[in-house]
Amino acid sequence: MRHAIGDTYFLMIRALRETVRQPALEIGNVFIPIFFFAVTVGAIGSSAARAFGVDNYTGFQMPIAVLQGVAGAAGVAGIGTVTDIERGYFDKLLLTPAARISLAMGRLAADGVRICLLSAFILVVGIVFGSGLESGPLGAVVLVAMSGLFGLAYSGIGMALALKTGSAQAAQLGFLIFFPLLFLSPAFAPKEFFAPWLEFLATINPVTYIVEGMRSLVLEGWDAAALGKAFASIVAMGAFTMTLVLLGLRSRTA
Amino acid sequence: MPAILAEGLAKHFSPDIKAVDGIALEVPEGQIFGFLGANGSGKTTTVRMLTTLLRPTAGRAEVVGLDVTRHAGEVRSRIGVALQEAGLDDIQTGRELLALSARLYRVAPSEIAGRVAQLLRIVDLEDAADRRLKTYSGGMQRRLDLAAALVHRPSVVFLDEPTTGLDPISRDSIWRYVAELNRSEGVTFFLTTQYLEEADRLCHDVAIMDYGRIVAQGSPEELKASIGTDVVSLRIEGGADELTRAEQAVRRFEGIEDVRAVDDAVICYVREGSSAIAKLVLLLDEAALRAKEVTLARPTLDDVFLKKTGHHLEADEAGAGADPAGRARGRRP
Repeated sequence: MRHAIGDTYFLMIRALRETVRQPALEIGNVFIPIFFFAVTVGAIGSSAARAFGVDNYTGFQMPIAVLQGVAGAAGVAGIGTVTDIERGYFDKLLLTPAARISLAMGRLAADGVRICLLSAFILVVGIVFGSGLESGPLGAVVLVAMSGLFGLAYSGIGMALALKTGSAQAAQLGFLIFFPLLFLSPAFAPKEFFAPWLEFLATINPVTYIVEGMRSLVLEGWDAAALGKAFASIVAMGAFTMTLVLLGLRSRTA
Repeated sequence: MPAILAEGLAKHFSPDIKAVDGIALEVPEGQIFGFLGANGSGKTTTVRMLTTLLRPTAGRAEVVGLDVTRHAGEVRSRIGVALQEAGLDDIQTGRELLALSARLYRVAPSEIAGRVAQLLRIVDLEDAADRRLKTYSGGMQRRLDLAAALVHRPSVVFLDEPTTGLDPISRDSIWRYVAELNRSEGVTFFLTTQYLEEADRLCHDVAIMDYGRIVAQGSPEELKASIGTDVVSLRIEGGADELTRAEQAVRRFEGIEDVRAVDDAVICYVREGSSAIAKLVLLLDEAALRAKEVTLARPTLDDVFLKKTGHHLEADEAGAGADPAGRARGRRP
């Protein structure tokens, strides 16, 4: 166990070094959510109070921008692993006595750190745009931590696909899966305004609870029930995706 | 205790694809052992089984006395491996890559910086140590890969085609490091190669692999002596018909031990090459055939390879390279 933690740490540092040395790869993850945030608030913000009874639509949308950033960063989590597989470095790592689980967890942990930094940046941009944050500085920490954990759980999809297939195209499917999940959540309006079929889908969609948990921190302050559901959704997603990662890892090792 | 032992080791990817088909090996400690074979002959698959990357279909193998399947983790901590592709992470610098390898191989933290510096010096990469690997040439990457394989002072090192694609100077550097480490530290090397000169110069023992099976094994000198004859090569004017007739003609020579028709030449294995040449040419003449070139040589590993497998190693590469798996699909009739 001690070795697994140490190996994960060393491999996380190596993955973060890649990010620091290729900062251009993060531009899209920052720019796209902020662009959609600005456009959505600009288009709907002034009529949101009348249409859905949401006074602070900037705050209503800010968690969506954060989640889009998370999805952008986490959805391509498997690409680094595919690159390692393609250039043979993954085999080099498999040849070391490093704990097998750390070969996946090192990159996932690095993704978690990247996602926390990205979320913090989008959060600051949102506050500057006037979203507010009812839960205060501690709420910001919780929101960023929630983003990081969600990103870690969500990265597992791309990582599992990368390990199983060794294909960049397959690994990017993780990113595509997010958008149906986001649009089937109350991303743009409260779910009480949804058609019944859509409301049902939103109710069984784990992203709904993550959106509502984050939104509660921004708009309401501390809502234990909303936060509990959000963290429970993240844990459930994480348990599912980490199982896939372990299966993918097993298929890669002798 | 042998450094490497294999008994009936096999890897079948399907009933038709027998990449390795039941081989036996014993490599003593402190030896440089060469594994010769064309692309797709099963060399790399053997290395991947011996280094725990692939699970054998049948048979067993031990490295440093440990079963590679049951004690895979322990085997990994005791061996060093440089695979066919250098497979390095080009975002890191040479020093960072070696330090990460050292950490993953559980080298004591207090020793890492010193060991990394020492290895960089050994492989002549001190000046490039803090440059990213994407700026390294192929030869520099191979040398760094060799250093990474040695970072934890393994007693057995596997090198899978360590010099393929390198220029002669880089190739010579790798040979020098391997020979020096073997001599000074007693490291056992198991290296696969397509370069017969490399095997002849470096290896104490070699095995020739063809279609997943070992067809000859021994020291280069023993293998060459096993042919025990001179090699007369007669390049024949004309086409396939002439070549077949030439092969039949030279078989009538009393002192002939073996004949092979390869490309446009008839290769004759004879006891007294210098005196045999005139008689062989005469036999061709009687059959109304002409040799456009005649050469006489002492046997080389290439001759051994040709005799044992029926084809040249290096001339075979272009064709075999296009379909490496194809060679493993079934045995030649």
